[in-house]
Order: sequence, then C-alpha cells, then structure tokens
Amino acid sequence: METFIEIKPGRKPFQRIYLGIMLWFVGKAIQAAARVDNEVKKEFKGMPANYTFSLGAFPNGPYMIVGKDDKEKVRYLGSNISKHHVDLEITLKSMKNLFVLFTFRESTPIANSRDRMIVNGDLPQACAAVRILDIVQVYLLPKPLAKLAIKRYPRWSLKRHTVDRLMVLIRTITGI
Amino acid sequence: MHIPDYYEFCCRVNIVTDHHALEKIPELLLSMGAKNPMVLTDKGVQAAGLIDIVIGAIDNKLSIKTIEDQVPPDSDLKIVNRLACVYHEKGCDAIIAVGGGSVLDTAKGINILVSEQAQDLMQFTGAGVLKQKLKPLIAVPTTAGTGSEVTSVAVIADHEKNLKMLFTSPFLLPDTAIIDPRMTLTLPPHITAATAMDAMAHAVEAYVMLSKNPLSDAHAIEAIKLICHHLVRVIKQPSDKKGRLALATAATMAGIAFSNSTVGMVHALGHSMGSVCHLPHGNCMAILLPYGLEYNLHKVEDEIAELLLPLAGEEIYACTPQKNRALKAIACIRELNQILNKATGGTHPICFKNIKDKQGNFLVTKKMLPEIARTAMGDGTIFYNPEDLDYEDCLMTIQAAWEGIPLDRSKIKQG
Repeated sequence: METFIEIKPGRKPFQRIYLGIMLWFVGKAIQAAARVDNEVKKEFKGMPANYTFSLGAFPNGPYMIVGKDDKEKVRYLGSNISKHHVDLEITLKSMKNLFVLFTFRESTPIANSRDRMIVNGDLPQACAAVRILDIVQVYLLPKPLAKLAIKRYPRWSLKRHTVDRLMVLIRTITGI
Repeated sequence: MHIPDYYEFCCRVNIVTDHHALEKIPELLLSMGAKNPMVLTDKGVQAAGLIDIVIGAIDNKLSIKTIEDQVPPDSDLKIVNRLACVYHEKGCDAIIAVGGGSVLDTAKGINILVSEQAQDLMQFTGAGVLKQKLKPLIAVPTTAGTGSEVTSVAVIADHEKNLKMLFTSPFLLPDTAIIDPRMTLTLPPHITAATAMDAMAHAVEAYVMLSKNPLSDAHAIEAIKLICHHLVRVIKQPSDKKGRLALATAATMAGIAFSNSTVGMVHALGHSMGSVCHLPHGNCMAILLPYGLEYNLHKVEDEIAELLLPLAGEEIYACTPQKNRALKAIACIRELNQILNKATGGTHPICFKNIKDKQGNFLVTKKMLPEIARTAMGDGTIFYNPEDLDYEDCLMTIQAAWEGIPLDRSKIKQG
C-alpha cells in the first residue's frame, strides 16, 4: 500500500496576524471602556472578583483574555490562554468563523444563531460579556461598520459619542 | 422562504404516536438491549393514575426495578444524585420518564451520571461535554407543551447555590418519545390551555427568531395549525382523544422546531417571570407571546405576516392585505387567549395583574417588574431575538403585559 502524504491545512498567516491585531485592539479597548463608560463599568461590577473571559478561535487561537482583579480593576491579560484560568470562554468554532466576524461580513448575533460559537461558562456573565463587546464595537468602529456588527446601533448622548469615544481610543492606544 | 447560509438540524428521537403507543414500550426497550427500567415520575402524575396506565401497558413484559415519584416541580441536583444511586443499587439498565419537563430533565441528569459512571453532575454542564451515547431513555410526556421529549437540553437546579445548570448535547435526546393521548386525557382545561400555549410560543418563536431554518419552519407551521385547529375544541370537550393526540403531536413538533431554531425574548421574559414570581410557564408564554411579536414587528414583519395562514386559515389570510397580515396575526393570538379565558371560566390569564394564587393573593405586583427585567437580561435566549433588548425594553414590555394593554410601538428603539 502506498504511503499517503498527510495534507495539513494552511496556516493562513494573514488571517492570524489580522485577527491577532483586532483581538489585541478589542482587548485593550475593553480595558479602556471599563475606565470611561458607565455602562461597561456596571456590567463588570456585576461580575465576581477575579473574573476572566476570553474570545478566540478553536482550536489554536488567536485569543484575547480580559479579566478584573480583586480590586475591581479591569485589565487586558494578553493572548496566551494557557497562562490564565478563564471563567468564560467565547470561542468561534474556527479561525475562518472569527475572520468572517471581524471582517464584519457576519454580525455577532448571526454568528451565534448559525451555531458558529461555543460559550463555555455562566450564562448571565456571557450575556454581560456580549453586551460589553457590543459597546466596545460601537466605540471603535465607524457607524456603518458597527451597524453590521451589532443588532441595534445605540442612541447615545453627544458626550458619549465624542468625548468618551476619544478617551476610549486614546486609552486603547496608550494603554493608560 | 428564508434559507440561511448555514444551519444544523438534528432530531434522532424515535417518535411513537398512537392511541395505544404505551404498549410499544417493552418491544422498544428490549430492542435496545434493556429490560430492567427505572420508572421516573412525580407525585402529581402518580396521583392522577397515569403510572398505573403505563404499568398496565407494560404488562409484566419488563422487569421494572423501581418506581420513583420524588421528582419536584423544579428538577433538583440533590434528587438527581440520589436517584442515580438508586438506579445503581436496584440494578436498572434504562429509564422510563413519565411526566412533564421537570421529570424529563431529571431523567436526563440521572442518565448522564449513570452512563458516565460519575458522581458530580457539575463536570458535564455546558454544551458538547458529553462524548458518548447514554443508557436507553424513553420519554413519556404527560403534558402537551414542553417538548422536552425531543430536545437535547436539560436544566437542573442547584437550590443550595441558587443556580440553574444547563446541559446541552445531542446525546441528551431521549431514544424514544411515546406520544399517547391517554397521558393528557385527564388534564384540566386551564392546564391544557397553558401547556398548548407554551407549545404555541415554541413554534411561533422558532419561526421568527434568528436561527430559523426551512426544516424548523416546517415543524413550526404544522404545530401552529394543529394547535389552532384543536385547542378550543379540546378545552370544550376534554375527552376528545383525537384532539388530545393532535395537541400532543403539535407540542412534539414545536419542540423539534425550537430545539433546531431557538426561542427569544418571550422565553427570556417568561423564564424570569417564572423564577421571580413562580408563575406557571405556560401562562407566562400565553401572555407574553403577542408582546414579543409586537416588539420584533419592525424586524421580522414578513415572518410574522406568514404566521397568519396557520393561525387564521386560508380565507382570512387571503382577505387580509399584505401590509396588515402581521398585525392581524398578533391579534389572532390575543383573540385565542380571550377565547381560552372564556372557555376556562377565567382561569386562563390574559394579563399578569390578574393572576392570583389559591388564597386570592396577586402573584405579580408592579414592584416585582424591575427585578424581572433585570433577571431577563441574563437569559441566554435574548441573544437570538431579532431586535436588541436592554433593561428598559424588557421593563416596558412586561409593564404592558402586566396591564394587558398593547405595546406602545412608538417607544421601541430602532437602530
């Protein structure tokens, strides 16, 4: 019998780099929004101390991990999922699914309804995490793109749309 | 017809439907290599004499090792653990679950522990944790509503930690569902109405939510047709065996529909109503269903309009202009609630402010509504709702449902 060469799937370096950057940006933006936005602060307040959640792609990532410490401070904890205990994992079933999501060809609710996501963890906290991600997407994305990513574009105050958005962007980039 | 780019549909349950379907249990169980079942039920089912009918139908063809009727109205972790030990002690090799959602969920929990040879059910919470087929499980529903006999989900409460644990796996699907109208023949009219409206909510939500697909749609539409055609007749004539069989079939079809699509805000709000005020689930569904449709109308008007055909029939559908069909469909559900209210002598509620307990106390007060809205924000079914919901939206909807007035659609936020 002939020996067959195992065909390994491509590593898709472009997708991995793109998603790595996007996840880094979202993670940092969650950290920033938790300091600026009252609604995000409130959502994190409802989570237990030392609570962590991750967003990423099965099986080999990339991932981003965000958590709050016992002093209620929210931090982006990086991308190495093996280094942290994660309480809530929101995982897309493949890197391709995550790429479709982060190129705004499919919104988070549609990805979820098409069974592309696995949520492992407490459900009320998962709901809160998704609401946080929605708010952060509104901060980071221009309105036409944000509308593709979430169910309903929110009616925020002018201050939230301008001053708070600027603060979130500055804090995201500088990491302050 | 809406055909999503990607969808999954799974229903591996062998559904046996007949006026004498119970008599098939021995043959079915023996074909699965089991002959020593545990019969699981609750005290209400036992007291109604339904277990006697099941035992009579089995007719000594199986060696029933034990009949356990300790299942509480809310499935409980401690009971699951205890009954798993009983299963081992008595040398059982299968479970026959006779009851409503709680009994079937408890049976699924026991089946996980005994099949996995495990002590701690917690290690199997969440989605997709189970990796192998479980022991034979036969589900005999005694209400025509929950659809648990065809769902791959179990909800088991840890009352000590005040937690409800969700288990999802295709392996949780029972091997066989026995749909026999003798099991629902003695249901009083108000429970028949509530459970059928629960099935109606499953079917309607499955048809309009984000995860809908052509296969779930087909089951949903047929379930709605059957309920509309038979429900009022069965309420007026409870001994109508054909009608009972039709309602039981509708509940199973609605169960298949929603477990392969999803439910949305009606269930999110209904679950919260249930957990805060301890209201019967079917009553919550009946009241909230028109409000859920009104809230989502601007997002899924076409889908709601299509529901007019199974709800009202061809003549009314054809006579109603396209632009009015969605509102007419919602009006039909309200009208059905009114008819059921009249037919049950006022026991089928049409708004939350009128629901009282046996002592005449109001079960839902206006003060409870904010807590209900907050609880609903943590319900996973909210993800699948076509329109987004925040705390204010939930509160606005349940306030209208409490008063029994239509939703003020001008206040619904649109992005």
